[in-house]
Amino acid sequence: MIFDSYEAFRASNFAARACILGSGPAGTTIARKLGAAGIPVVVLEAGSREFSDESQDFYRGATVGDPYFDLDITRLRFMGGSSNHWAGWCRVLDSQDFEPKAWAPDTGWPISRTDIEPYLGEVHDILELPDFRPDVPISDDIRWVQLIKSSAVRFGEKFADELDKSKNIAVVLNTYATELAGDGKRVTGARLWSNGQDAGTFSADYFIVCTGGLENSRLLLWSNQRSNGGVVPNAAALGRYWMEHPTFEGGNAILADYGEFEVDAVNEAFFSPTLPAMERLQIMNFGIRLIETPYPSVKRLIADLACTAPDMAEWMSAKLSQRLRCAAQLYVAWEQAPLASNQIELSKADVDHAGVPRIELHWKKSPLERRTILEGLRLFGKTLAEKNLGRVRIADWLTNGEDYPTNEELAGHHHMGGTRMGTDVTKSVVDANSKVHGMDNLYVGGSSVFCTSGECNPTTTITALACRLGDHLSKVITV
Amino acid sequence: MSFFIKKMSRRAIVQALIALPALSLFRNQPVVDPPNADPNEIVEVNGWILKRSDLA
Repeated sequence: MIFDSYEAFRASNFAARACILGSGPAGTTIARKLGAAGIPVVVLEAGSREFSDESQDFYRGATVGDPYFDLDITRLRFMGGSSNHWAGWCRVLDSQDFEPKAWAPDTGWPISRTDIEPYLGEVHDILELPDFRPDVPISDDIRWVQLIKSSAVRFGEKFADELDKSKNIAVVLNTYATELAGDGKRVTGARLWSNGQDAGTFSADYFIVCTGGLENSRLLLWSNQRSNGGVVPNAAALGRYWMEHPTFEGGNAILADYGEFEVDAVNEAFFSPTLPAMERLQIMNFGIRLIETPYPSVKRLIADLACTAPDMAEWMSAKLSQRLRCAAQLYVAWEQAPLASNQIELSKADVDHAGVPRIELHWKKSPLERRTILEGLRLFGKTLAEKNLGRVRIADWLTNGEDYPTNEELAGHHHMGGTRMGTDVTKSVVDANSKVHGMDNLYVGGSSVFCTSGECNPTTTITALACRLGDHLSKVITV
Repeated sequence: MSFFIKKMSRRAIVQALIALPALSLFRNQPVVDPPNADPNEIVEVNGWILKRSDLA
């Protein structure tokens, strides 16, 4: 069932055991799992069926530190959440991404990839994926990684009909949970704001917060402040260890044969380091995206190479005359070292229309990341040269130690961390089952539970974790 | 520069490239090759990741 207001839902007398906040990939997936298990669940969605400026305005906020996107454009606040603007790139975090790394503090998950692998079949169907393919090692240092392109499922569109017909799932639109109330053991209710006014409180036996990688922290920080620590009793890490995938053009490559690598529909291929290479160089994970370069840029690149290695330039030029596709821009996206200082705070000066403090995001890239991108490009260049696959030129801003360029992609709109998973309550917010430490009935879904970010787009892992959490809750919640 | 290159034919580019080695005199050069330098050694010159033999 889908209701357009909280008032309409209340009139239905639907009795929910569990309340999910947010209808994005995590919230919708968990709701479908609980509904399939016969557990009545309500999904409270702050937005409506479509985008609106009024709803989006609740997401405005401020960023302190490195340049970042406006917080009201980097996510979407309506049914289906940010799945409404994702590009569809899919890959699960690597096994190595779950493991602690001695050279990067606070890395490592309390679960391993094998814990989510049983759910990849479901994820495959939910995200309408082609088959996952194994990576292809091209040297001891570099893997050609196989990101796959999905149809970029919009969860609101795809599942609206199924949710509307479900007897066990009630989706309530235009209903914003402004805060949770708790007594240090249980969440006792949610304060609601619906259609522009206070709508009272709502109670359920279980609450699952799935409002996104920025909003989860905001809601829990505000709730905890209002409840004097009664919602997140161990709040030292709440809002902290926030991560993105910074993305910048790091150089170019001339390839002997662009067709050496099977590129995707948009002529892109991706490369990442092996774990031994990361260990040896003590760097984080990264993904080098190889994007075919327009012909005039190829000529400029070969002219530049001719100044340094004329014979090689001549050989490449001959290749160019045979094949017009032979050069690429190298965009690098990388894994951020998890830092407690990268954090979501509540604004002390600005609130939204419902009176909830807006987000103040504190975010900076670290020296380890700078070394990761430079050493990563060197590693990729070394591999191409040793294998005679091509030659790499690293961008001047990197080799000269200049600031990050200001006209770049900046990042991937991937919001991770803030309510990270772990066993140490001083450095994590939820346990291995995504249950908030110290609370009996409060869970968190979505990328805010990520401990590390790996190098790949998060939606596949978000959906797999949501399937796992849905299964877990189906056993915990007795009908 | 880019306008000039756009106007050149591919054949002219190749011919120009053949004459280009002299330009390398004006660029940063790697250390002079020792007598027994490994031609497959990876070197970094002007941002390029190259084999030493590329510099010949």
